[in-house]
Amino acid sequence: MILYIIKNAFRCIGRSRGRNILIGIIVLAIALSACLGLSIRQAAENAKKETLEGMSVTATISFDRQSMMGNMLNEGENDEPPSFDRDAFSQMMGEASGLTLEEYKAYAEAPSVSGFYYTMSASLNGSDAFLPVTSDTPEEGSAADAPNGFSQGFGGKGGGRGQMMMGAQSDFSVEGVSSEEAMTAFMQGTASITRGENFDPLSDELNCIISEELATFNGLSVGDTVVLTNPNNEEELFTLAVVGIYNDTSANSDSFSMMGATSTDPANKIYMAYPALNGIIEVTAQNAATLTDENTGREYTTDIKSTLSATYSFKDLDSYYSFEEEVRELGLDDSYTVSSSDLESFEARMVPLNTLSQMAGYFLIVILIIGAIILIVLNIFNVRERKYEIGVLTAMGMKKGKVAAQFLTEIFAVTLAAVLLGAIIGGTVSVPVTNALLEGQVAQQTNRSDRIEESFGRGPGSGSITAPEGNAIPDDTGRERPQGGFKNLGAAAVDYITEIDSAMNITVVLQMLGIALLLTLISGAASMLFVMRYDPLKILANRD
Amino acid sequence: MAILSLKNICFSYGITPVLENLSYDFEKGKMYCITGRSGAGKTTLLSLLSGLAAPTEGDILYNGDSIKKIDKYRLRSKYIGVIFQSFNLITKFTALENVTLSMDIAGIKGKDKKARALELLAEVGLDEDECNRRVLQLSGGQQQRVAIARALSCKPEIILADEPTGNLDTETQREIMEIFRSLAKKGKCVILVSHSPQVAEMCDETYALLRHSKKK
Ligand SMILES: Nc1ncnc2c1ncn2[C@@H]1O[C@H](COP(=O)(O)OP(=O)(O)OP(=O)(O)O)[C@@H](O)[C@H]1O
Ligand SMILES: [Mg+2]
Repeated sequence: MILYIIKNAFRCIGRSRGRNILIGIIVLAIALSACLGLSIRQAAENAKKETLEGMSVTATISFDRQSMMGNMLNEGENDEPPSFDRDAFSQMMGEASGLTLEEYKAYAEAPSVSGFYYTMSASLNGSDAFLPVTSDTPEEGSAADAPNGFSQGFGGKGGGRGQMMMGAQSDFSVEGVSSEEAMTAFMQGTASITRGENFDPLSDELNCIISEELATFNGLSVGDTVVLTNPNNEEELFTLAVVGIYNDTSANSDSFSMMGATSTDPANKIYMAYPALNGIIEVTAQNAATLTDENTGREYTTDIKSTLSATYSFKDLDSYYSFEEEVRELGLDDSYTVSSSDLESFEARMVPLNTLSQMAGYFLIVILIIGAIILIVLNIFNVRERKYEIGVLTAMGMKKGKVAAQFLTEIFAVTLAAVLLGAIIGGTVSVPVTNALLEGQVAQQTNRSDRIEESFGRGPGSGSITAPEGNAIPDDTGRERPQGGFKNLGAAAVDYITEIDSAMNITVVLQMLGIALLLTLISGAASMLFVMRYDPLKILANRD
Repeated sequence: MAILSLKNICFSYGITPVLENLSYDFEKGKMYCITGRSGAGKTTLLSLLSGLAAPTEGDILYNGDSIKKIDKYRLRSKYIGVIFQSFNLITKFTALENVTLSMDIAGIKGKDKKARALELLAEVGLDEDECNRRVLQLSGGQQQRVAIARALSCKPEIILADEPTGNLDTETQREIMEIFRSLAKKGKCVILVSHSPQVAEMCDETYALLRHSKKK
């Protein structure tokens, strides 16, 4: 029954090969474009999924300074204009900007958290025998010749503003880590210990590791001791044992030397255990005296200010998303935000591919609309041309519905064949074409970043790098992110995804089938209407 | 009893009346001839009988039942075989395919359809080579034979033929008429449209249609 309709349909296709090949070529063109669009979308989806699967997400809780500033804005009383309470803000920043370790630990209890580590950062000064690496030319003689004057110069400056702006003018940035995980540069492999060994992050012994540059600069080796001083009180001395020397390849001193503060030079970074650094901070707090600054008249205490940053790690992205809700329930108020630099850098990496995917989406819609219109027109012509045949078939007693079904089968068979061919061709060309398009997108994105960098007076290329080809297949992604500690020092280099390795998969094939079905239905519906409308008597009577 | 009977049939295309108040009876085993001048409405009458058009007034009875109650597609594909004046074959199909398609539409089952179709085509005088040729590559007379074979393919009780011998030489004309004769003898009801007196002579009964405008 149905069989003869199908048989007839194929016979008709065979008998009008020319026309069907023409329709097939048009559908092929549509299918090929659609396949490309779908493949690009799929590639973006794949890249996203693969990256996210392999990515361990970490998050930090940070103080939302902007919302706090909003709160500080006084409503103008007695016709006074609204004013900003700077002192209160400074005080607020000093007190509220960081959560306490206890609070951080409490949030680590959230069920989604799979790992937790924290780092205490403080700025300390060196001593006569232990000087920071600097490229600044000291005004009076060389650093080695006049260590006193050199450190005094900095100390003087630090005395003025050092309280609030955490030790920006001090010699060393000291990091007290809770575990080796917190030493992100080492975890990512950009830094490694070249001599000696790492300290025990749980011990409160005053052990530390220093950079190669710093060791060379001061002629130090493993086993030596160094003396650090409280920048607010040079009488307070702390003697640390150097247990290891590390080399940080990601730290490029050149880009930091221009930016002033010696302690921000990565060469001047000293790692030690959290309990050890905390011990130093506590000692300075116990001995703290309140002094008044001669220049500003503002009071300050001599204890060392430290900042605590905690990082939570998650097994997957979903855990990260539930983390924020959990900490809000645990009592984190709105002046703090939960953010993930992994996710941000991942999103940045995805920009070209996402843009391309979005464009592919629009392209797909346009192609399908144009394709549908072309097919509707073609099929209407087809049916009109075959009017007589329809008349004969119905006069022979074939129901109009069956005639329509036969026509639909013909359209479907031709469309399906063309779409499958399109999918096969599309499957082979989609990867190179997508990569070529992606290259253009990355170049555009890189240009854009360069332009922004130039607008801010920085040279092109400082804000973004073009990833070497083949270096950015989604699998090894998500790892190379800018280090948290240096993030604010320059625009982060974004390692865009520049290549995809596969685009076609069963999803795309199924989507293509869906498109074939959709196009058939749309164009078939048009011809069905004509078939149903025809009156065999009139057709046969009007025969030319 | 008449297998087909017209009861006061009227038909008009729009406002132009073509057939007026016709009452004819057609019986099984007989051969009828409908004559009339060109434009008298012979083809129109056949369209009514085959259910392609419905009478504006009156009724057509098939086996005593109103034709209105019968599925027209079923009627055309199974009960009535029509040979159209202009053949109405599927020209891109072969003669054989036209016949088997008609069998398929009628819902005839069995694997011997092709053999039966060839047999039918041979009966009307087409050899196997001609059977496998596209209809377009057949002569007018050959096409007419294909149309006859197709009309017979579903073993209908009634055969309607519009000018079945119009394109044929006297020799072939006689052959074809013999086929119709034998069908009538087998108990079918054969209704022919022709203005040829020879054809009318061979029929059991003749109905003459008058051109409406000239009707008194
Ligand atoms: N579809 C139509 N619409 C309007 N008028 C029609 C239509 N078909 C036929 N007619 C008219 O109806 C009348 C009868 O036509 P019909 O085809 O039945 O004549 P006929 O007797 O078969 O003539 P012929 O011997 O030439 O085949 C004619 O006057 C014709 O012009
Ligand atoms: Mg006629």
